[in-house]
Formats: sequence, C-alpha cells, structure tokens
Amino acid sequence: MEPVIDVVNLSKAFGPKVVLSNVNLQVQEGESLVVLGGSGTGKTVLLRNIMGLLTPDQGHVAVEGRIIHQLKREELFETRQKIGMCFQMAALFDSMSVEENVGFALTRHTTMTRAQIAERVDECLGLVGLKDTNKLRTSELSGGMKRRVGFARAIALKPKILLFDEPTTGLDPVMTDVIGRIILDLKAELGVTSITITHDLKSAFEIADRIALIFRGECIACESPDDFRKNPHPVVQQFLRGDADGPFLQDPPPPKRALARAHHKQHINI
Amino acid sequence: MLTKTLENIGAKVMGALAQAGDFAVLSGRTFRAIFKKPFDGASLLHQFNAIGVNSIPVIVLTSLAVSAVFAVQLAFGFRQFQAEGMASGVEGLAIVRELAPVIVGLMMAGRVGSAMAAELGTMQVTEQIDALECLATDPIHYLFVPRLIAGAIMVPLLTALGIYVGFWGGRMILVGVEGQSAFVYSEGFYQLLSARDFRIAMIKGLTFGIIIALVGCWRGYRAQGGAEGVGNAPTSSVVTSSLWILVMDFFITKLLLV
Ligand SMILES: Nc1ncnc2c1ncn2[C@@H]1O[C@H](COP(=O)(O)OP(=O)(O)OP(=O)(O)O)[C@@H](O)[C@H]1O
Ligand SMILES: [Mg+2]
Repeated sequence: MEPVIDVVNLSKAFGPKVVLSNVNLQVQEGESLVVLGGSGTGKTVLLRNIMGLLTPDQGHVAVEGRIIHQLKREELFETRQKIGMCFQMAALFDSMSVEENVGFALTRHTTMTRAQIAERVDECLGLVGLKDTNKLRTSELSGGMKRRVGFARAIALKPKILLFDEPTTGLDPVMTDVIGRIILDLKAELGVTSITITHDLKSAFEIADRIALIFRGECIACESPDDFRKNPHPVVQQFLRGDADGPFLQDPPPPKRALARAHHKQHINI
Repeated sequence: MLTKTLENIGAKVMGALAQAGDFAVLSGRTFRAIFKKPFDGASLLHQFNAIGVNSIPVIVLTSLAVSAVFAVQLAFGFRQFQAEGMASGVEGLAIVRELAPVIVGLMMAGRVGSAMAAELGTMQVTEQIDALECLATDPIHYLFVPRLIAGAIMVPLLTALGIYVGFWGGRMILVGVEGQSAFVYSEGFYQLLSARDFRIAMIKGLTFGIIIALVGCWRGYRAQGGAEGVGNAPTSSVVTSSLWILVMDFFITKLLLV
C-alpha cells in the first residue's frame, strides 16, 4: 500500500549548517508516528518540509502520492486542506478571538452556516478543556492555553492528516494525557494519519504505532514502541534513560555533583 | 582596492535587482489574486476604515496647513508686483495638480503604509503567515488584496478631500486675512484648471494608493529576524514608497500634462 506521507532522501541545510541529511520516513494510512529527537535536531524543519513551508535541498516529500514541492500553489492549498498542523509556538492569529482562530478554516473552506461553525468550534474547544473561552483575545491566554487553541484550530476541519509539533510541551501532566487521548480518539474514530513530535516519552509510547528518533540530522531508528525500547543503539538507550552521559551530546556535559566532588577529593588527597 | 569597490557595487546592484524582481512578482500575484474566491468583505471593510476613515483628521489638518501657508507665500509674492488677483488661481493650480496628491500620498505612506509593514512583519516573524499557509489560505489573497483595494480606492478619495480642504485653507488666508473678495477667490481658484487636472489628481491618488499598499505589504511580508526585522520593515516601507511616489508624480505629470 502506498504510504500517505512519504519522506524520501530528504536533505535540508541552512547555509553551511546541515539540519537534515537523507531522512526516509513512511507513514501509512491511519498510522500514528511519533518523532523523537534532541532539541535543535530538525524535527520542526521536517514538518515544515512536509507542509511545503520549506523546499528540500535534496529528495522530496510526497503526501498522498503528490510531491509537495512540485505542486502549483492551488494544488498545494488543496493538499493542505487535508492536513492539520499544530505549531510549536501555537502561531495563533493575534488580531482575532479564540473562536475566530479555531473557526478560521471552517469559515474559509466550508459552506457551513455560522451556527454550525459555532457548534464545531465549541466542540473542539470542549475537547481541549477550553469551554467558554470563545470570546477571549489570544493575548489573554496562558502559554498552555494558546497551545491548546492551536491544537483545536488544527483539528477543526477534521483533516485526514495531522502534524503536531510538540502539542504537549508546557502542559501539566493531566492535560498532556488528555491531548494524548484526543490523538488516539481521532485515530480510532476518523482513521487519522498523524505525525507527532514530542519530548514526553510517556505519551509517546501511548500514542505511537511507530517511533522514529532523529539524531544529528539522520533518522537512526523507526520501529514499533516495543522494538524501540529494546533497540541496542547507544543513542536510543541514552535517550530513553534521559541521561546526560553518553554519545547523544556533542560536547561533554558538566559532571554530576557527586562525581565532581569525588573527583575533587581525589585531587586534594594526592 | 578598486576590484573590491567594483565587487561591492556589483553586489549592491544585484541585490537591488533581486529586490525589484521580488516586488514585481509579489505585485503580479496580488493583482491576479484580486478576483479569487472567497471574497472577504469583513476584512475589506476593516481596511476601508483603517486606511480611509481613520486618516481623515490627519489629511484635513495637513491639507489645511499646507494650503494656508502656500496662500500666505502667494499673497506675499504677488503683492511685490501688485498682482494679488493672481494668487487664488495659482493656489488652485498648485493644490489640485501637485500639493494635494503628493501631500496625501506622503502622509498616507507614513500613516498606513508603515502600519501595514509593521502588522505583516509581526505576523511573519511570529509564524502567523505560515499558519495561514497551513490553513490553506494564500497570504497574498488574504492580506495583500484587501489592503490593495482599500488603498486604491481610499487614497484618491482622500486626495479629493485634500483638494476640498485646500480650497478652504486658501480661502481662509486670501479672503479672511488678505481681504480679497470671496466671490473672486472662488472664481479664481478654478480659473486655471480644467476637468483634466482633476482627472490627473485622481490618477495620481490611485497610483500612490497602489504603491503604498503594495510596498507596505511587501516590506512586512519579507520581514525576518525578530524585533529588529519588524522594526526595519515600516521604516524601509515609508522610504521606498515615498521615493516612488515622488518619482511616479514626476512621470505622471510629464506624460499626462501635454
Ligand atoms: N529558517 C531557518 N534558518 C536558519 N536555520 C534554521 C532555520 N530553521 C531552523 N534552523 C536550524 O535548524 C536546526 C533545527 O531546527 P528545528 O526547529 O527543526 O529544531 P527542533 O528539532 O524542532 O528543536 P526543538 O525540539 O527545540 O523544537 C536548528 O539548529 C536551527 O538553528
Ligand atoms: Mg521544534
């Protein structure tokens, strides 16, 4: 079966700085892929390439068989209507209210009446626990609330493909679980295909059909959660442990306090 | 040393050409997007208000001040050779042909062109324009088009307002202070003018409105690099559009006033 999202030999550099090199990822219909990776390894750049906000240096991204960077703008917008994207910084329209933000795509791309749109907006806001915030301006929201409004905006049009850029960063553990459940529900009910970037391992293992790990611009693992846990690659294991010592960081981290003290004593004794 | 200088000049020229090309492409896309669906009436109305209605006080005040001071100069100048009667005619000529269109154009470049650049620039660096793209909305169609239409309609209207206020500004000085007859002033104001001059004034207003909107949107859309980028966008939009207003004023006058 042809994958819904097909990332083929994708490379992207900004000037001399290579961010992604030769990344290959396939996401099948109805599958939920979680992308893990250190901060600044190019996860957001990957999503921006999929959305067509960036053009790959080499390779391509195909969504439903159409190569994104070769599409005409009209075709690109057609494809984008099927994709919901949740930005890392929410990227809400700050001149609009919460309600207008969430209903934006509905107003522009559907023939729904005002009442129907209001109903759908309420439904989406209810899902993310933001009932009765409709009339607030986006400047009146907290960081976590903004993120959830961004999430609601991404799912409002009931897209078949969802891209989440750290939807749970900055949320409390309970809300994180709620978002995880919404993603699972969307998958079960609508058969949504999704890519989720997260730093939260607990929800990653809950929502993932497969987990990919990006390390120094390359995708070093892409497998089911169980296989991922057992993957012997030292970087994977270090990432799972959440330990500063190991091959993950380019520069050696500062020593831990206990170790440092022991080291210090040794020096004095000598 | 010399090659270095030549290289620098070459790089500057290439940069300027690339910018001009970019502006031309975006302008072309804006004009083509005008008739695309969906039509966003609410946004257009908002721009009519922001560009047109909210600019009325500024335009009234500047037109009044400029026409009054020009009348003072004319009265003084023509008194030297006892030709005070000429003052009203020259006042009308100057206001309709040059002062109103150019002053309104420059004021609007400062008032609304810079606001457009700041607004779009902020949207660009906070990823709101990317969010528009992801919601399958062409930022050119959604942001540029209403501003272009509102600019193209409102700046000519404000130019007409400037002419009207200019008439009264001149009257205030020549009739009120210099003691000329009100009837003679009203007759004299239009004496040297024909319908063509008003047409040219409107064409200037239309051109300047288009320049202001396109340059403002373009500078904002191309803003990058955080607060500094957003800060530079309005400044460069005002400088660029003012320059083009003056250049186009010359060419429109030279070509149409034959
Ligand atoms: N527009 C750009 N211009 C230049 N460099 C960029 C640009 N966008 C991203 N980068 C660089 O690409 C690298 C990857 O950025 P990216 O935003 O994809 O990281 P990330 O994996 O999403 O990190 P995080 O988990 O912190 O969000 C960074 O080192 C960044 O400096
Ligand atoms: Mg990121």
